[in-house]
Amino acid sequence: MASQALQDACWKFADIIARPAIRDRWEKVRRYFFLRESTYDMTHRCNMRCDGCYYFEGEKQFAVENGDPVAWQELMTAEKERGITFAVLAGAEPSLAPELCRICADTIPLGAIATNGLKSLPREIDYRVHISVWGSDATSKAVRKAEHMLDRQIANYENDPRAVFVYTFTSQNITEAAEVTKQLAKAGQQITFNMFSAPEGYNGSLRHTPESLSAAAAMMTGLLREYPESVLFSHYNIVAHTHRLGLHALYSCSYPRMNPSTNVGLGRSFRQYRTDLQWDRDAACCVPDTDCADCRHYAAGSAVVTARMYRHATNPDTFSAWLDYVDTYLAVWVRGYDKSPNLCDHPVTPPADGQ
Amino acid sequence: MNNNLDQTILRIAEIIINTLKLEDVTPETFEANLDLVDEVGIDSMDLATIALVIRDEFGVRIDEDDYPKLTTLRIISEYITEKLQGEE
Repeated sequence: MASQALQDACWKFADIIARPAIRDRWEKVRRYFFLRESTYDMTHRCNMRCDGCYYFEGEKQFAVENGDPVAWQELMTAEKERGITFAVLAGAEPSLAPELCRICADTIPLGAIATNGLKSLPREIDYRVHISVWGSDATSKAVRKAEHMLDRQIANYENDPRAVFVYTFTSQNITEAAEVTKQLAKAGQQITFNMFSAPEGYNGSLRHTPESLSAAAAMMTGLLREYPESVLFSHYNIVAHTHRLGLHALYSCSYPRMNPSTNVGLGRSFRQYRTDLQWDRDAACCVPDTDCADCRHYAAGSAVVTARMYRHATNPDTFSAWLDYVDTYLAVWVRGYDKSPNLCDHPVTPPADGQ
Repeated sequence: MNNNLDQTILRIAEIIINTLKLEDVTPETFEANLDLVDEVGIDSMDLATIALVIRDEFGVRIDEDDYPKLTTLRIISEYITEKLQGEE
């Protein structure tokens, strides 16, 4: 163990990125280091009510909705001026406010929209579209009270290169991921994985257990191997998001809610706007009202794991795993960014700060 | 001491220029007190990249908690110099 640490410590960054495959991937992903995100709740309306929904927890659901296009235009212009280059449009259901989404996309060209997919977004809104899937149609009916959900989602986003289906693993729907992924792959759709992360105070049955984390990891690994063209994920994504420790314990969350520094990075630039166009630094993170100790959310990981580049630059294997993670995050979030084959074909232990 | 610091400032300036591919500035003209975040526009990922090159060059590890404080060329250079002196 000690000799392994010594070996790791001997690797220079220059030597790691001198390897051609690593060098190419490093140059590919670093072009996107300019991305600076903030998130925006577009409306307090939704056409569904799902168990465990993040939006309808906490105070933000009671914000007075501002649907004034002029106010939104002013906000997005100001956001662009303060350096925001990536807009994430979320709660409650952005497809119910397409005119506001259009304003955002016209002002900040790169972004993503989180939607339940029951209402298609106009094609001219050229953001990545994340369509949430919470299991088979039977499960969706039980948890989300919607009939034939996956068929309707696929039909709404058929041959739409903006679409990424985001399968959220709860403790209850792990085996269903196989049939859902198969159906999506057959329909030519891309899919990535999310982990249910309990909202604060949530004590329902969807919360993960050590056993369900292991089962989810095994299922993800199998699906990644079976559908490499359709599944946007890596072995390191699996490690990071199904670890018994949450993202904050593993990587120290860099969102303002958990990070007091305002000097640089997310602590400086990230804001989470509610539908009244106000934001609160103490609540600002990608999925507000999540229990931070249970957070394994894909959106959180995209920023938090990526930000910890330094600690992953210990040896070629660990740095390759990090590059796979970043390559995955960019493919999931950025329109026109294509995922490359993973460099690392096995699980890598997350490095601690100071390794 | 000052001479060492000046040399370090020049070398760190060169690292920053090369790593970030900055134009219209040389190590000699790089203002040591310029705010790298506000005035040069670098972000946390740029800082992490610079920190890795510094680790290679000086053998100095920069703690993750220290990144946010390293906002000027002078502060980075003083940090490196202090770390090196601490190892002597």
